Amino acid sequence: MQSTDSLVSVENVSRVFAMDHSGVKALDDVSLRVDSGEFLAISGPSGSGKSTLLNLIGCIDRPTIGRIRLEGTDTTTLSAAQTTELRREKIGFVFQTFNLIPVFTAAENVEYPLLVQQINARERRMRVGAALESVGLAARASHRPDLLSGGERQRVAVARAIVHRPALVLADEPTANLDTSNATQLIDLMRDLNRSLGLTFIFSTHDQRLLEHTPRIVRLTDGRIASDDQGESHGQVLAACVS
Amino acid sequence: MAKFLLLAFRNVFRNRRRTLMSLLMVGGGVAGLLLVGGFFAFMFWGLRESTIRNGLGHIQIFTAEYFRRDEVHVLDTGIENWEQVAQRVRTVDHVRGVAPRIEFYGMLSNGVKSSVFMGNAVDPHAERSMGFNPSFASGHDLNADSNGDVEALIGSGVARSMSVKIGDGLTILAVTADGALNGIDVQIVGIVNTGVKDLDDRYLRISLRSAQRLLQSDRVTNVVIGLDRTENTDTVAAALAPRLRGLPQELTMRKWIDLAAYYKQVRTLFSGIFVFLGVIVFFMVLMASVNTLLMAMFERTREIGTMLAMGTPRAWIVALFMLEAGLTGLLGAAVGLIGGNLLGMALNASGLHLPPPPGTNVPMLFKVLHVPGVMIGSTVMVMVSLALASILPAIRASRLQIAEALAHV
Repeated sequence: MQSTDSLVSVENVSRVFAMDHSGVKALDDVSLRVDSGEFLAISGPSGSGKSTLLNLIGCIDRPTIGRIRLEGTDTTTLSAAQTTELRREKIGFVFQTFNLIPVFTAAENVEYPLLVQQINARERRMRVGAALESVGLAARASHRPDLLSGGERQRVAVARAIVHRPALVLADEPTANLDTSNATQLIDLMRDLNRSLGLTFIFSTHDQRLLEHTPRIVRLTDGRIASDDQGESHGQVLAACVS
Repeated sequence: MAKFLLLAFRNVFRNRRRTLMSLLMVGGGVAGLLLVGGFFAFMFWGLRESTIRNGLGHIQIFTAEYFRRDEVHVLDTGIENWEQVAQRVRTVDHVRGVAPRIEFYGMLSNGVKSSVFMGNAVDPHAERSMGFNPSFASGHDLNADSNGDVEALIGSGVARSMSVKIGDGLTILAVTADGALNGIDVQIVGIVNTGVKDLDDRYLRISLRSAQRLLQSDRVTNVVIGLDRTENTDTVAAALAPRLRGLPQELTMRKWIDLAAYYKQVRTLFSGIFVFLGVIVFFMVLMASVNTLLMAMFERTREIGTMLAMGTPRAWIVALFMLEAGLTGLLGAAVGLIGGNLLGMALNASGLHLPPPPGTNVPMLFKVLHVPGVMIGSTVMVMVSLALASILPAIRASRLQIAEALAHV
């Protein structure tokens, strides 16, 4: 498989977790290509390998077998320091439980990836303002996470994920802890950012509300890709997922 | 960097109750060391000054011969022309006074009972001018101009054992510089508490003139120099050395610290006790802080995983934990410094006295000095302790597997 044109290329990847004397195969010979600007959902039941696949693409875990390329770079051969640098510059993360730093304000949380990149204060201020503006939380910039609603926290997390202009945003079950209204707002927000900024989103979910807005859905079952539905109608996609 | 410091600072106060306990623990350790160190410093200062004021003086001049051999006869290693020596000494800055002394020993008797005494003969006027005043239980000091009976001060133990009081007479016997036996009658004008019981049981003091008559010699054992301040001892000693050359006798000098054996023993003992206390506090802070920081690390596992996922270098995580520990140490030390100094001031104001130490009969004033060295030392000590305590949690935090840390509940 030629992968150099894709933003992400997963090539025959397996991930086996050692458990006592046996191993549990979380992913089994998975191959996948994601182009720049895509809005891709990875769906499947619990234990199907969604989070494992996201972790591998996000360079916070390594495959047992296979290769993963990000912008043509084989991430499986990089050193720990190189993968840290890659995550810092190329990837934004959104987590199911928001994972904001509780002692930082919303603005400071959004600023954190820029601090790690050691970007100067003026540039940081500008980018943080723009990021919070883009998620509609400019007015809540000085609030700490415990003073924000669940939906607001996740929007701060999205702002934090995009503030350093990554090539890829990975979101693991981003709507799992949100009510319908907030989940819908978040999905709309992510889709808008995908369209307006051309950001590539890959997220794991089994939230049907989110799947309705997703043009491409990769369905995992028992660690293998059961289907990769592109450009189908929502009805067809949903039917496939429900089945 | 400022934001990183802010993060560390806010993390310190994330769990306020736990932080309060940590600060109290660290502060308590620092305050304890401040109080103990301050009291020991006061004790050292008091012992030093009382040792000097009780007659040791700041510098003493002897003949070199005095240290080379034992006397065959009394004063045969003494200074011949002490006035000439005193004249040279007085030309040095910071010298408050010069006092010749004779050390001798012999027997004293009340006609019924005899006892051994350790005598010293002084120029009362010179002694008083330097503030070398004995501590009187009763009576008064020797009269420098007395032409009548030979006056004597005796220790309270001597008075008790010889059953004498102020105004009573005693006969003292001593061997002269020629080896003959000589005796004089003395009248007791003062009874003295030296603060050391063994010395009180043997103490006798008469005037220099009386002693020279008793011992049949113009020599003195040594010349004692009193200074305006103890801190000037080294300066004066350096200035004095060349002035003592070129005299008929080879002279040598000793600073008070060279002669104060008891002071040095006490200081060594209590310094050892202070170091021991410091080590205990160090390990208490260390063990308690390791536990606290490990708890903080476990509570923040997912947050650390998130930071690592976002590309935070692992060294930054180590630095963050060490910074938090350092801030806790600094704040705890500040609490301890403020609390310790305030408590010290309160204790000083209370006028508290401790029972007399062994070998003395004078209650000891409890006073705490504010010693910058102890303040800095105890602050550095708790900082080092906390820095060491943070190593294990910091390394464990930095080595977390990101995927596992993110899944931590």
